[in-house]
Amino acid sequence: MEISETEQVSRAQSGDRNAFSELIRTHAQGVMNVVYRMCGDVHIAEDAAQETFIQAWMHLSSYRPHTSLRNWLYRIAVNAATDMLRKEKRILPNSMDDLQLMDGRPGPELVVSEKERIILVQKAVLLLPEASRAVLVLREYEGLSYLEISSTLDIPVGTVMSRLNYARKLLKDKLEQNSFLQAEVDYA
Amino acid sequence: MPNHVTEWLNAYLDGELQNGRLHMVKAHLVECKTCQAELRSLQDLSELLHKVPQPEFTSPERFATQVNLLLPQKPVATPSSSLFELGWWLIPIGLLAAWIFVSTAGIVSNLFSVANNFGLLDSTAAWLVSGSSDAANWTSTLGQFSLLEGNSLQWFKATESYSRNVIPQFVWQVSIAVLYLAWIAIWWARQTRHPRQQRGQPIEG
Repeated sequence: MEISETEQVSRAQSGDRNAFSELIRTHAQGVMNVVYRMCGDVHIAEDAAQETFIQAWMHLSSYRPHTSLRNWLYRIAVNAATDMLRKEKRILPNSMDDLQLMDGRPGPELVVSEKERIILVQKAVLLLPEASRAVLVLREYEGLSYLEISSTLDIPVGTVMSRLNYARKLLKDKLEQNSFLQAEVDYA
Repeated sequence: MPNHVTEWLNAYLDGELQNGRLHMVKAHLVECKTCQAELRSLQDLSELLHKVPQPEFTSPERFATQVNLLLPQKPVATPSSSLFELGWWLIPIGLLAAWIFVSTAGIVSNLFSVANNFGLLDSTAAWLVSGSSDAANWTSTLGQFSLLEGNSLQWFKATESYSRNVIPQFVWQVSIAVLYLAWIAIWWARQTRHPRQQRGQPIEG
């Protein structure tokens, strides 16, 4: 018989480790994805994801059953990723200098390989301020609605909108500075 | 074209606009090439972001096993929050108990006063009557200096005796009521905070 998530949470709150393991299995992928998009390093992401679930286990009694467990975990995950990044500052690119293309001349030479493009976009995301990056990650990669992001990060919907606008504008500006997005658009 | 809708394009792209605002943005996009270009660049950006692949993570089963080994024996019952919750609900109970005590003490005190006035209490029980000491009465003092006489003196004595019982009771009960109302206000704020955030505000025109 399949047990509902609410029941699993209730059992986990009573100390049932198997029930909590089941919750981990359900949400591991989403949590790891969030922390990976926040910090851009697989190993640090897995450490942050572990920390997320340990913190969730330790504070499970404070979880309110009528709210979304996924969003509650995402909130812990964003905090865990932020803490991890503060400890491991070296993994983030320092500036847009790290994003410069090999050849800065205008023209077809600007079109870099697909792999390089992906690395550049990922680095540009990592250069965003943490608060804006968290909103962008939850929206773009986890597909959360503005309302869900608002609830997850405990910020008003208006702030979600402004942070998302800011993140996308900054990202666009940074990538356009490197003629990268333009190249993507031209060759699309 | 004036009045571009660039500030709403992100919400439009994410399907977060409703009603009037949605129609306004749609209508504007039909005619405005600047906003069309801006929307296209946002769409391109979104597509680009999704091209960043997700790496191979540890499988959820293995990850769950790894985490399970790191977990403390029992979930921490967060004693501080439990104690806080317990203390939180003890506040109104305590206030109610205090109110009952103050009211009962007032009634009992008044009963003893009445009994004392009728001479039903002997001298050993007179201490039970609050404000019964004549030496402490300011009306008696005024009477000694002949500032109050006859009926006026009696009336002031009765008033003073009454106020000595009633005013402290009144002050206590008002204090308890203020504390209780403050507790209700905080409780209401706590209750409404989260549901409001979950409902959020629809983005409408």
